[in-house]
Amino acid sequence: MKAQVKEDWFRKDRLPHIFCVGCGNGTIINCVVDAVFHLDLDIDKTVFLSGIGCSSRAPGYMASDSLHTTHGRALAFATGVKLGRPEFDVIVYTGDGDLAAIGGNHFIHACRRNIDMTVVCMNNQIYGMTGGQGSPCTPIGKLSTTTPYGAQETPFDLCELAVGAGANYVARWTSYHVKELRNAVITGIETPGLSFIEVLCQCPTSFGNKNKIGEGVEHASYLRKNAMLLQKARRMEEEGKKIPPETFIVGEYVKRSRPVMGGKT
Amino acid sequence: MMKQLTINETLCKGCNLCTIICPYRIFQIGTTPNRRGIYIPKLYKPGRCTNCRLQDLYGRQLCGTCALICPDQAISWETVSQYKKPEIMIEY
Ligand SMILES: Cc1ncc(C[n+]2csc(CCOP(=O)(O)OP(=O)(O)O)c2C)c(N)n1
Ligand code: SF4
Ligand code: SF4
Repeated sequence: MKAQVKEDWFRKDRLPHIFCVGCGNGTIINCVVDAVFHLDLDIDKTVFLSGIGCSSRAPGYMASDSLHTTHGRALAFATGVKLGRPEFDVIVYTGDGDLAAIGGNHFIHACRRNIDMTVVCMNNQIYGMTGGQGSPCTPIGKLSTTTPYGAQETPFDLCELAVGAGANYVARWTSYHVKELRNAVITGIETPGLSFIEVLCQCPTSFGNKNKIGEGVEHASYLRKNAMLLQKARRMEEEGKKIPPETFIVGEYVKRSRPVMGGKT
Repeated sequence: MMKQLTINETLCKGCNLCTIICPYRIFQIGTTPNRRGIYIPKLYKPGRCTNCRLQDLYGRQLCGTCALICPDQAISWETVSQYKKPEIMIEY
């Protein structure tokens, strides 16, 4: 079945969703839905998957088939779906904790195998659902319930990790850059192989308020203000300039054609 | 037949994200709570919306950033049958 209007992709009986006021996850769902609607994917031949977390509630609002799996294992399940039914479009919603902490190994190997699917990581830099513990993406100095004096560990750069592990398409945007994000998801779905799109988003409840960034609007403005285009960051690195702290580098990291597993043809 | 910008009051949670993204600043922070206690943004001269004015002419969605950023899928364009004279026709 094809969607006639964009709203056909949502399970309207489930809306409004459970996300807090001003949470960025809803914005990211919109962008993904807009992308699949633009590409005119078949609702019956698209599968959304996720692990556990606030972000991972997203497939539950999709009209197509969806799998809400165990914590961190979304990519393992997605690999199974894609290899079993290669004609399907597989899209994974995941969180930073889900993808980088408990699911870290699945992520690396899914990138290495370059399985033909699109992974959208809603990176709110925290474990939102369980009350705001620090995740592998919590920046140094940021407060969370498990880092009451500020995080001390260097966070993951998920995009560089995906590039290193072999994903075919890697990009990072924020939940403020909606048009760019939508276009990145379109490119990601069109690119054979694993497409990884990291989206920095606001979690006003557990991250923004604790770190004195503020509610949804202030947090989104903060994401916008601190975003820097990848090209500019590379140029600054070449010139030996220091990239200011708390900068989110956004843009397309890589688009290439390594051998793909589970491709459509 | 024309398009009209609408906020679905049962979906909107009053996060005000739409107020920061619209290039025309059509969404203004709400001042009175609705029956659910939510401050729904007010629409200031919504006739200026690019999509309302030009969607039918171009035959595709234009701009639409507010509907993309709204985390609660509350913003949409309704097709209204009666012709209402747009408040502003040309924007420079
Ligand atoms: C095996 C297992 N370990 C731990 C948990 C508890 N748990 C549930 S959600 C979550 C964190 C999710 O964080 P993230 O993936 O960043 O998503 P967010 O809620 O921030 O969107 C954890 C640790 C679990 N459900 N299962
Ligand atoms: S806890 Fe954070 S991530 Fe979870 S729904 Fe609320 S704002 Fe969103
Ligand atoms: S962005 Fe959506 S939910 Fe938030 S105030 Fe605007 S219409 Fe309401």
